Amino acid sequence: MPVDTKRVRGPEVSQSPSLFLCKTAANKSFTQKDARVDGRQRGQVDVRSVFVRCGLISQAKGSAYIEAGNTKLICCVYGPREMERKDETDMKSGRLMTDMRFAPFSCRERGSWIQGSDEKDLSLMLLESLRPGVCLHKYPRSQIEVNVMVLENDGSVLAHAVTCASMALADAGIEMYDLVLGCSIRQESATYLIDPTYLEENGCNLASGSGDNFGSLTVAFLPSLNQISGLQSDGEMGEDILTGGVRTCIEGCFKLYPVIQQALTKAVRRKAPPSES
Amino acid sequence: MATVQVSEAEKVYILHGVRDDLRVDGRGCEDYRHMEIETDVVSNTDGSAKVSLGHTDVLVGVKAEIGKPRPMVPHEGYLEFFVDCSANATPEFEGRGGDELGVELSNTLYKVFNNRSSIDLKSLCISPGEHCWVLYVDVLLLQCDGNLFDAISVAIKAALFNTKIPKVHLSENEEGGKEIELSDDPYDCMRLNVENVPCIVTLCKVGYRHVVDATLQEKACSVASLIISVTHKGTITCVRKVGGGSLDPESIFEMTEVRQDPPPPYSSSCHLPFRPSQHISTGFPVRRSNCNRFV
Repeated sequence: MPVDTKRVRGPEVSQSPSLFLCKTAANKSFTQKDARVDGRQRGQVDVRSVFVRCGLISQAKGSAYIEAGNTKLICCVYGPREMERKDETDMKSGRLMTDMRFAPFSCRERGSWIQGSDEKDLSLMLLESLRPGVCLHKYPRSQIEVNVMVLENDGSVLAHAVTCASMALADAGIEMYDLVLGCSIRQESATYLIDPTYLEENGCNLASGSGDNFGSLTVAFLPSLNQISGLQSDGEMGEDILTGGVRTCIEGCFKLYPVIQQALTKAVRRKAPPSES
Repeated sequence: MATVQVSEAEKVYILHGVRDDLRVDGRGCEDYRHMEIETDVVSNTDGSAKVSLGHTDVLVGVKAEIGKPRPMVPHEGYLEFFVDCSANATPEFEGRGGDELGVELSNTLYKVFNNRSSIDLKSLCISPGEHCWVLYVDVLLLQCDGNLFDAISVAIKAALFNTKIPKVHLSENEEGGKEIELSDDPYDCMRLNVENVPCIVTLCKVGYRHVVDATLQEKACSVASLIISVTHKGTITCVRKVGGGSLDPESIFEMTEVRQDPPPPYSSSCHLPFRPSQHISTGFPVRRSNCNRFV
């Protein structure tokens, strides 16, 4: 693991105070009640309302900012840039490079600036989710860079990163087959929680984890083409629970679609020169 | 992943074959290649296994060490995975080339084992909050001919089955601190219950159908694959889509139904106790032998 030599860190034995928190108080609120902490319902396709805005970063070709509950992400796209010819395959199509990072203050426990294996894994998942949506054959010998920065992590980060990145790509004018939308779900024995918050995602691991069907699932979906471009699941689930979860995530993506489309049209109107009339 | 260059004509040939349920080596779409599993191959480890699936060779060694438990879970031990793609496998892995693939494989393994029932982590605890067993599972890729995930998962299951963790007992020394003593008898050890350890099945989408256990040529013709890790009870612990293409939701649902068939033959054969030089033939060709030589 590479060591950060540029920063003076606290002593190695320092621990986050949240380890010493009284755990019983936290667990009580997650018993099987009907309403979730933020007022949404269990077992229903109730995604958090999102705020999206494109074109924030003037230096980047395209950029987007998304806020869903307390989860805040920003994404910028640079490209298409010329790439040195590495091998034959790059002559025919372009290359997409993704990078997803967490700000050290974004999660409950302070993270480090060096990219850990979690971030590498998320970057890879982001790349696999976005690649089917982008018309890379129209950009031979070029590379398109997508950088996502998580400012605050309050759950379902990968799903919102996918949505944010595809909005930034559209804002940059990169040709795409369709927008890629992400949605995630947390399965808890009988019910599911769509678009979980950070506490809902992680709190249940420490609580009564016995019994089946505890897991999370993230789906990246292209709505007009009805294709799944990214799928990742964790925990243990039965097969029918998994298929039900995928269907629910697809429904969640369809709910998000009109909002994203509206935000993009607004951004395009803002960028377009005012008509002479 | 190590790749081969496949010509357009060969791609069409493979696609047409798969469409008619006949692959290049004569298998059906849902048939595995011949698999050989050997355990106890490396004597310096606490458990080891070597799996050959066609031309893919994987060697796994498990070493148990005493460490400090994780702060959030003081009553449990844990597993650490590391996958090393050695340059022996293919020249692409020379130097740092195999690092990316190794990191991807390790991350997937962490996800697969990230649930409560795969391994009983509480049995790895020695004294809560202070000492626990840490199992370092190191995977070495010797030869790469496609379908790495499946071979690695079977090898890990066999190696964990073979793992002997020495029994310890705690005693108090003069200052009141705890001392750990290993028993003198080398056969006095604890074995792990690997019944719920999942096996990974990789399904590659080739044309309109999916194939199990794809070779490198078939992988070059497919745009996307689905990795499903499943236990013998049918519980799915991890699903991941890899590759640069997209999948239809219906084909994903079809794939999750199919994966029921491959796991039962070889995961049930792993439950049978390993006896020296016993050849077990199931409907699915698996040969296991317990030998102490390194092949």
